Amino acid sequence: MADKPKVAIYWLSACAGCDESIVDLNETLLEVAQAVDIVLWPVAMDFKYSHIESLKDEEITLSILSGAVRNSDHEEIAKLLRKKSKLVLALGACACFGGTAGLANFTSKKDIFNWVYRDAPTVVNPETKFPQTETRINGNVLTLPEFYEHVYCLDLLIDVDFYLPGCPPPPGLIASAVKAVIAGDLPPKGSTLAPRTALCDTCPRNRLKPHRIEIKQFKRIHEWEADPNTCFLAEGILCLGPVTRTGCGESCIQTNLPCRGCFGPPPGVVGAGPKYLSAVASLIKAEKDEEIQEIIDSLVDPAGYFYRFTQPSSILGRKKPWKEMEE
Amino acid sequence: MAEYNPKLVCFSCKFGWDYLSEEPGRASRIANWIPVVCSGKIDTSHILKAFRSGADGVLILGCSEGHCHYQDGNIQTKKKVLLLRKVLETFGIEPQRVEMKFSLDPEGKGIPALITKMGKNLIKLGPIKRL
Repeated sequence: MADKPKVAIYWLSACAGCDESIVDLNETLLEVAQAVDIVLWPVAMDFKYSHIESLKDEEITLSILSGAVRNSDHEEIAKLLRKKSKLVLALGACACFGGTAGLANFTSKKDIFNWVYRDAPTVVNPETKFPQTETRINGNVLTLPEFYEHVYCLDLLIDVDFYLPGCPPPPGLIASAVKAVIAGDLPPKGSTLAPRTALCDTCPRNRLKPHRIEIKQFKRIHEWEADPNTCFLAEGILCLGPVTRTGCGESCIQTNLPCRGCFGPPPGVVGAGPKYLSAVASLIKAEKDEEIQEIIDSLVDPAGYFYRFTQPSSILGRKKPWKEMEE
Repeated sequence: MAEYNPKLVCFSCKFGWDYLSEEPGRASRIANWIPVVCSGKIDTSHILKAFRSGADGVLILGCSEGHCHYQDGNIQTKKKVLLLRKVLETFGIEPQRVEMKFSLDPEGKGIPALITKMGKNLIKLGPIKRL
């Protein structure tokens, strides 16, 4: 046991979809489990944090972290695993860019609490009690992690060595990443362990798109039966393929759904949101202000669409953690 | 409380604005004025970076309709900005913080007045609340 590389797998503000993708390695998982010593994986096995705390610094070869950072518990474990690990892999869209959880940054902690604990029609809370970080009962103190004002992607709080995006990341890419770590065959620090081109480059519909795409009205995928043999954008359906890294296996496209952008931007692009905004705007077929505005008005929640997985890592969504702001 | 002095970034097209100026050093007297080769060259991320860096508003000066040196750069800008305004609202930035003017001003004499006018509107809005 002692000479096997140690691996920790942890979920922060995550849905366990990334863990599910690890489980989907199937037989490969057995090979990996033979080659490594899993020291932490809450979704699958029982471990104690005190065991991790007792390890020497950098004793863990690889920590695989999924999920965004939403509360103080996430921050604490992420920092602990960073300290105890040689390498940290951000797994999935939430860890890499903030993910869908990051859309919460378009509202405030106060509004979220009011809805979840007071205003939602299914809530019964006559005394309007909200979660507290400390509650005293019979002389004892009960504690809860602090819910932060902002959702952070992982690299805003800790140093991240590698990124593997996706919602969830495909098992094939996870297997390659883990095998590369075991073999010591690693790309430069900061690399994303996925192809470098945009989804359109590998999309089977790319060659079927018209010479010139012109949008006269935006359509939502549930309102329109998309032609499986045409580029979504040509039909006025938003597809984030042009600004999204490929590597997902075009799983959405194959089920006649447009790309939502879970692989994040290709290399060299800081924010997929503004790039996509510019691209989509240029496809609008109108010149007069009123005509342009009318077409734009047919687009419901553009910010939610353009930043679906990337708000916390975007130019405007990126914030320094609040503790550092205070210092 | 100190008087609120909004920061404004102005992008202007070199083909429509200030290309005949005989007034030396105007650029150095107008804060955050960035002449660009075409208003269509202004990327959405430039505008967002201006806000991220502390700007309270962005003014874009492009050529009037039919006068774009590159055929339709001004129209592309218009489409981009109208869509961006809708996105900025979700970020808590009022749409009026990005203004456009499409006109021709070879001498560029009108630029300081336009900046002052928009600055007054920004004072009414106050600082950006949510960023």
